[in-house]
Amino acid sequence: MKQNNLHRWTVLVIAVVYLILLGETFHVFSLSDFPMPTFYGLINGTWAEQTETYLTEHIGFHDTLFRVKSQADLLLGEKRIRDVYVTDEMLLEKLTADNTLTPEDLAAPVSDFYEKTQIPTFLILVPSASEIYRTLLPANAVSDEQTSRIQEVYDAAVNGVHCIDACNVLKSQKDNYIYYRTDTHWTSYGAYYVYQSAIQKMGFTAIPYDRYVISHLSTDFRGDLYERTLYENVRSDVLDCYSYEGGAHITEVTAWYPDGSSGSRGNSIYSESALLSEDMYRFYLGAPCEQLVIKTNLDNGKKLLLYQDDFGDCMITFLLQHYSEIHIVNLNMAESGNVQIDPSEYTQALFLCSMENWEKLCDTNP
Amino acid sequence: MNLSSLTFLVAGLPVLLLCYYFMPNKGKQAALLTASFIFYGWGSPLRVLYLAACILFDYGIGLLLEHWREKKTLSCAVLAAAAVVHTAAMVWVRNAEATALLYPFGFAIYTLQGLGYLIAVYRGRHPAAVNLLHLALYLSFFPILYMGPMTTYLEFSEQIRRNHSSIVHLSEGLALYIRGLAEKVVLADTFGYVFRELRQTNGMSMLTAWLTTITFSLYLYFEMLGVSEMARGLGKCFGLELPRNFSQPFFRSTVTGFMQSWNITLVLWFQTNFRYFLFGSRHKKWQKYAILILMWILIGAWYGLTLQFLLWGLAVGVLLTLDQLVLEKVFRKNFVAGMLYTGIVMQFVWVLFFGDSLSETGSIWAAMLGFGNGLIDKHGVYFFTSYIALLLIGMYIATDLFRNITERLHSTKWGKILHVFQPVLYGLLMLFCVASMLYGDRVQGFWLRL
Repeated sequence: MKQNNLHRWTVLVIAVVYLILLGETFHVFSLSDFPMPTFYGLINGTWAEQTETYLTEHIGFHDTLFRVKSQADLLLGEKRIRDVYVTDEMLLEKLTADNTLTPEDLAAPVSDFYEKTQIPTFLILVPSASEIYRTLLPANAVSDEQTSRIQEVYDAAVNGVHCIDACNVLKSQKDNYIYYRTDTHWTSYGAYYVYQSAIQKMGFTAIPYDRYVISHLSTDFRGDLYERTLYENVRSDVLDCYSYEGGAHITEVTAWYPDGSSGSRGNSIYSESALLSEDMYRFYLGAPCEQLVIKTNLDNGKKLLLYQDDFGDCMITFLLQHYSEIHIVNLNMAESGNVQIDPSEYTQALFLCSMENWEKLCDTNP
Repeated sequence: MNLSSLTFLVAGLPVLLLCYYFMPNKGKQAALLTASFIFYGWGSPLRVLYLAACILFDYGIGLLLEHWREKKTLSCAVLAAAAVVHTAAMVWVRNAEATALLYPFGFAIYTLQGLGYLIAVYRGRHPAAVNLLHLALYLSFFPILYMGPMTTYLEFSEQIRRNHSSIVHLSEGLALYIRGLAEKVVLADTFGYVFRELRQTNGMSMLTAWLTTITFSLYLYFEMLGVSEMARGLGKCFGLELPRNFSQPFFRSTVTGFMQSWNITLVLWFQTNFRYFLFGSRHKKWQKYAILILMWILIGAWYGLTLQFLLWGLAVGVLLTLDQLVLEKVFRKNFVAGMLYTGIVMQFVWVLFFGDSLSETGSIWAAMLGFGNGLIDKHGVYFFTSYIALLLIGMYIATDLFRNITERLHSTKWGKILHVFQPVLYGLLMLFCVASMLYGDRVQGFWLRL
């Protein structure tokens, strides 16, 4: 090819690549997602950052391009994508412990709560799937250890805080479907086994597993780890719903939002609309809210104050068989002070959170 | 905005190229200046005011130096005062909390270009710029301000005046920009990520320590090379030939050979405007080496005003002196021994460059010598097995061997086939760069602080 023709072709091909890329970017463009410039945003650089983030997430052929890059990395020997280990069976998050926090720092929020309120307080720190399925991680994979770290936090908690060992319970069930393959959360099945262990220590008898009717809501659930990696060679997950016909029923659900507003969610904690969205896990407790009060038809006068993160969502359905009221405080949302809680009104308090998230929360809100 | 951001690649660059090529010749320089100001103002418009003030300062001082050319004492005093102002401004911008809004800003390069221009006017290399537009464009030309390559006002203004831009320039420029982008986002960002991960290891083994410093040197090389090549490519798109800044420095037989291929225009600036301008070229032997060491300490200070950078400069200066005194002669006959010596000693020197403190540097050095946490550890083995292919590819590209093989390939049948498919290959490489930019764990290069 003549040199001049080659130059013309180079410019032409690059122009065509631009046209295709920009054409598809405009095709998927959504004004509502695009960051609108503000005076302060322009001055302090936040608008420029938001625009770059928008482009990173919404550029044309995003998923295809991302998969090309991740496949190339895997081909060259990399074993994880965006800090998620890719195995044949499941996606496992790389765990990073915050070594600046001591076990005492991590136990302090619960210990302080107990010392202030003196109500029976329980603590469940849930290990991540990467801890339970350590053997599935690639050889020499770097992922911080959680079992001993959780035990250290339990040992550092004051006497009176009842710590519930979820690690050994989950390890004993590791051959079962206790964690999603494509999501960081545990399955309802995993949550049930920890519930079974916890509820006995909380003074109740667990509802036997065979009393529950299990319905498969979706067999095509792909969770947050899939969203991060877009890795398709791991089977999609099954989202289950457990219901106990002969048990307690919800009479009222009220949610409080960070802006101070509140609203009734009828008599169900489930959100059917979430099944049509990308985040199907939201089915269990609906859209995130700061606080949620669930009242049941039980009149045993037992009230539970539950401080939890997303891991609690699929355990609620089991817990509400034992309480007339469960008051949920979402640990992932900073307290706005819109709803005042008087702990003395509650029979028990339960802190339920994943260890990974608990460290982050203690670091940001010591 | 930076040259490897998606905002620039998918929006800034096509808009700029369309404006530039459809603009009548008279308006092209103004278009480039406007683009440079928008580039710097993107994210924080205050930077534009600061940049404009600096340009006006240099313009005024240049005219004063021209005016008092015959009055040597006066013009020398003006130049000295301007040098103090430039240096003080650079130190202030780097360290003051209040100047956070001025970042990212290529102030380190700006300082050298501005000062270089004033020294050249003082020495009578060229007259002071009368055309403010030309000087402003030279001092603020956005592709080069982050990492160079630096050029002189004389070369730059002559090329601007000639105003040569054609489809050949555009094609070669885009190809060079895409190659530089790939070096930055595909190689440098990956090595930077591995380096960050390895550096967090508590109690490094020998393997981890060596991997840490090797990945850092590759990260730094591809980061600086990539940005420089992108700048050269963009310059070419606008008809400007900018000099090469790097020339495959790895696997050289002497530290001198390594440093002559590393950030070439920066070293050249210090040689012209510091070494020869202040001290001339005739010295006793010991003076020559003392000046060389002092020059490298200053280069270290230019990278960062910390003890670590000063010690890095000192170490490089001492190694270059050793080379000139003894080692060049020894290694001329034994290339392999020289290559091993240079490779190993430079890895120790890079630890000074990236270490946060002397204690961190000391512990990594100890680990490299086998006095750390054993010979191998899990962390090191994982990263070694995961990235060995990419490390080998990176090292190969960073050597002369790669250049030789690409040159030889041109004359073969495969070379001719590749040549025909070159446009498509560049299109695919550009898409792969976009794919790499979607990962989201991009490394904020230390050069943003330059």
